[in-house]
Amino acid sequence: MQETRHQFREDLKELERQVLGGLDLVISQLDRAQESVSYQDVELAALVVADDDRIDGRYLEVHQGILSLLARQAPVAGDLRIVAALLHVIRCIERMGDQCVNIAKLVPLSGYEAPKDKEILDAIERMGQLARSQVAQAKEALRTRNIQMAQDLVHQDAEINRLNRAIFKRAVEIGDDMDMREWGMFMILVARCLERIGDNTVDIAEQVVFVVTGLFRELAGASTTAETAPSS
Amino acid sequence: MIPPETDATADHQRASDMSTAEGSPAEPAQEAPNLKEMGVREGAGHGVHVKGLRAFYGDNEAVKGIDIEFPANQVTAIIGPSGCGKSTMVRCINRMHEEIPGARAAGSVTIDDLDVYGPGVDVTSVRRMVGMVFQKPNPFPTMSIFDNVAAGLKLTGTRADNLREHVHRSLRAVGLWGEVKNRLNSPGHGLSGGQQQRLCIARTVAVEPEVILMDEPCSALDPIATLRVEELIDELKARYTIVIVTHNMQQAARVADSTVFMLDGEVVEHAPTDSVFTNPRDERTERYVTGKFG
Repeated sequence: MQETRHQFREDLKELERQVLGGLDLVISQLDRAQESVSYQDVELAALVVADDDRIDGRYLEVHQGILSLLARQAPVAGDLRIVAALLHVIRCIERMGDQCVNIAKLVPLSGYEAPKDKEILDAIERMGQLARSQVAQAKEALRTRNIQMAQDLVHQDAEINRLNRAIFKRAVEIGDDMDMREWGMFMILVARCLERIGDNTVDIAEQVVFVVTGLFRELAGASTTAETAPSS
Repeated sequence: MIPPETDATADHQRASDMSTAEGSPAEPAQEAPNLKEMGVREGAGHGVHVKGLRAFYGDNEAVKGIDIEFPANQVTAIIGPSGCGKSTMVRCINRMHEEIPGARAAGSVTIDDLDVYGPGVDVTSVRRMVGMVFQKPNPFPTMSIFDNVAAGLKLTGTRADNLREHVHRSLRAVGLWGEVKNRLNSPGHGLSGGQQQRLCIARTVAVEPEVILMDEPCSALDPIATLRVEELIDELKARYTIVIVTHNMQQAARVADSTVFMLDGEVVEHAPTDSVFTNPRDERTERYVTGKFG
């Protein structure tokens, strides 16, 4: 028996490369969005907003590629699962890109010389680091089809959720100063964006498990964020 | 159990010598069998059970002791690479395999409680119960459209007054009535390929079989004719148990309730079609349906 459908296989690999590259774009956007919050860098935040076009373009490129592959190659079995997963993951990438934009757009709103609370800033920074780590781990789990690595994301995501709740609690208790309270509210929104990025990495993890096992199930703990964090 | 040799002749070979105008009387060639007495239960839907089936061409074992359950009123697709034994297996169900010189089969094939290879079972009756549609549309070349459908009925002794009703009903059942009702006496060969294949299916269903075997029924048809036949298959399964051999995996995915993957004379996997094409259990099935080997 000889292997067939070489062009199809190449096309599928190329689509997967584009999706994995899309996760790299998210990491880059997340780094800059995080930095713009930490240093109140309005120019950098504007760059994050402008560069979202690259992620949106990648989404359209992959989306069109998948439609074409479905129409022309009719993938089945493991190939079909990969195609379905890529379609889901590229959507997650687009959403994570949007969350980075949401964070960046909050930077000028919180003022050029905004008052800051170290406890909240530290927590935001830690959330950003965790979200970045989770995106990178989701990418590696998808690339290597590693179920254990995918499932581990749920445990990591629990820490992001905990920090999100802590920031909310701290912002409520931040004091009577109006500017400080307003800044605290903006940080709640930033934390919420980071928490959503964490959730998106868990969604990707579920797709990795689906690709490998053929069974889709929500990973334990993935749906608990809504009841433990302020809703958007 | 399957005896070593039989001397039965295919229906269509006998029928090819018959040609009468629409509605003309025909002498019954034999009495219609009493299926109930033979072990086939009354009512629509009869399951087929293949157990320990082995089929040989001389010393070459093409089917190697397979077990398959074909559920009543379901479409079961058989897929697999050329030479895997799928057509041979199907031809064992209606005892056509034994028509090939040197070919023999062992094991058992049952329709409900009827052992198809049991002692005293009439081969022609088996083939009336188990109709077959072939790869290439094969209307009888010298016969009219009407006579093509009536051919099997005449063999089973259907009376002339019922013949017209049966033929018309069969042509309606395959969606051909509207296209041919004004030219029933025209040659069957004058129809398009897709119409010819539906004519052959009408000929098959005219004798009211319990099971319909289809050996790549659409491989010679254009896409539209293929879709018409596939729609027909979906309609026919309400009354018949259907087994379809196909090389077209998208066709199997479209029409079959369950799919059997065969390789080297063995059944690798038999599962609901959804499962075979989204999450096959066996690595060999995965490799075949994804085209990683062929």
